[in-house]
Amino acid sequence: MKRDKPTTHRAPQGAPTRRAWLTGAAGASAAAGLGLQPTAAQAARQATQAHIVIAGSGLAGIAVAHRLQGLLDGAKITIIDAKQVHNYQPGYTLVASGVWPVDKVIDSNASLQPAGVQWLREMVAEFDPAANTVVTAGGQRIRYDYLVVAVGTHQDWAQIEGMDTKAIGQDGLASVYPSSDAAVATWAAMDRFRQKGGQAVMTLPATPLKCAGAPLKMTFMVRDRLAQAGTLGKSQVTFYSALPNVFGVKAVNDNVLERWQALGVQVQYTQKLKAIDIGARRATFVNPEGAATEVPYDFIHVVPPMRAPDAVKNSDLAWKEGPMAAGGWLEVDKDTLQHRRYKNVFGLGDINGTPRGKTAATVKKSAPIVAQHLADVIAGRAPGEKFDGYTSCPLIVREGSAMLIEFDYEGRLTPSLPMIEPLQESYFAWLMKVRLLKPAYMAVLKGRV
Amino acid sequence: MYEIWLAMNIVYEIALGIWPLLALLLSVWVALLVAARGRLGARQVRQALLLGALVAVALFFSVPTLTQSSLSNMGYWVDWANLLAIALGLGALAAVFSVPLLGLAGGRK
Repeated sequence: MKRDKPTTHRAPQGAPTRRAWLTGAAGASAAAGLGLQPTAAQAARQATQAHIVIAGSGLAGIAVAHRLQGLLDGAKITIIDAKQVHNYQPGYTLVASGVWPVDKVIDSNASLQPAGVQWLREMVAEFDPAANTVVTAGGQRIRYDYLVVAVGTHQDWAQIEGMDTKAIGQDGLASVYPSSDAAVATWAAMDRFRQKGGQAVMTLPATPLKCAGAPLKMTFMVRDRLAQAGTLGKSQVTFYSALPNVFGVKAVNDNVLERWQALGVQVQYTQKLKAIDIGARRATFVNPEGAATEVPYDFIHVVPPMRAPDAVKNSDLAWKEGPMAAGGWLEVDKDTLQHRRYKNVFGLGDINGTPRGKTAATVKKSAPIVAQHLADVIAGRAPGEKFDGYTSCPLIVREGSAMLIEFDYEGRLTPSLPMIEPLQESYFAWLMKVRLLKPAYMAVLKGRV
Repeated sequence: MYEIWLAMNIVYEIALGIWPLLALLLSVWVALLVAARGRLGARQVRQALLLGALVAVALFFSVPTLTQSSLSNMGYWVDWANLLAIALGLGALAAVFSVPLLGLAGGRK
């Protein structure tokens, strides 16, 4: 078993370093000027020799690493993830609908790693929380004092018989979810489809999803592209939901359904995609009673069922009972995002087994809370601030217009600014989606907002 | 306050993505100011404001198209307010940039 040694050049416990004093003074001045004066507890960095392991280097992993650096002095922080490319996943729907070129969603992960944080370029293969250890795919055993799990989701394509993600882009097969390449291929398939028109089938599985608005956006956009191409008259767009609704927030669900009715988009409920014959362009759906329906299509957008990655699902960190157990999601307290049984473990981002919230906006709101809670636990304090489940979805309704929907765990609409009408389609929401949200994402990633 | 901080960070990140262009423009502007010293007065400022207003009007009508949208997608007053703010902000920048140019074009006071 490998035990990582603490880093050197540490300040004595409780004594801020000169750098910490200078950083604190400069930060306090700037914050005071902006009216963002932090509390006394937040202003000084907390001295610690703890080893914090962050599993995952997506938005959540990198953002919390930056945040922890700002809160802790002397902590050893290790990010574990083999991913070399950082994908701006909120931009996938724009790539997949022909709005953005793909280079806007691709960054080098190396360029985004926080300075001073160790990056171990391996995947986590196993979590052993009883031994405070993670095991990498290469067999390294890494001990930690504190752990942040931010490994995202596993797309369970194997649940769809006949599905082959490598075939996306061919034979009318599309999916925005697997990768930036798949988003490009999806646009190629959509572009070909709109020239002739035909039957478009859009799917939604019954599992928790990351960016649950993406299937709706793709539906709005394929309908819009057909209208632009003049082939809408000889086309039909049908949304097959495995659930009794199309979106988990009732107000949004009802609004979208009203819009789709006006736009001629049909909806089939409790129809789960069971199998697909890519070459023959036929999809098979089953209802809860097990009755199968075969549906021919010219274009299909497939959304994969999702669950926790095996490393979490097969570990003691996963929910053992309740609605999140089947997917093996991380068993965290929804208010504190602290693991319910292992108090030195926190969850952040899509992996969390919480009622809602698998978007970048969720990370924006929760990363500072998790970092503060972890610092609190290191200092022997109980996590204080409650996370309300904030999630946001700029829901594109056509090229040039969107709705800026924000909501919490309870499904209440919670606009950040009082003047924003969440269910009002608007240019401003579109502008945010296409021009402003990636800069905001980068600021979140760097731990500033 | 958080939203102000967020907006400042968004502007910062956008600027970070185009900083070579911004640095070049700033350098050119400073060089023009130096070259135009002694030729700047109230007349140039009035002309610059007029030019800035024209740029703002042009942007008001063209920014939606430049952002893959159109004026027909203006949904409610928040859209119009933001469009106006963008047009006025960029118009003001155009006015500031044009002051030394107008001074050089107008000859010595």
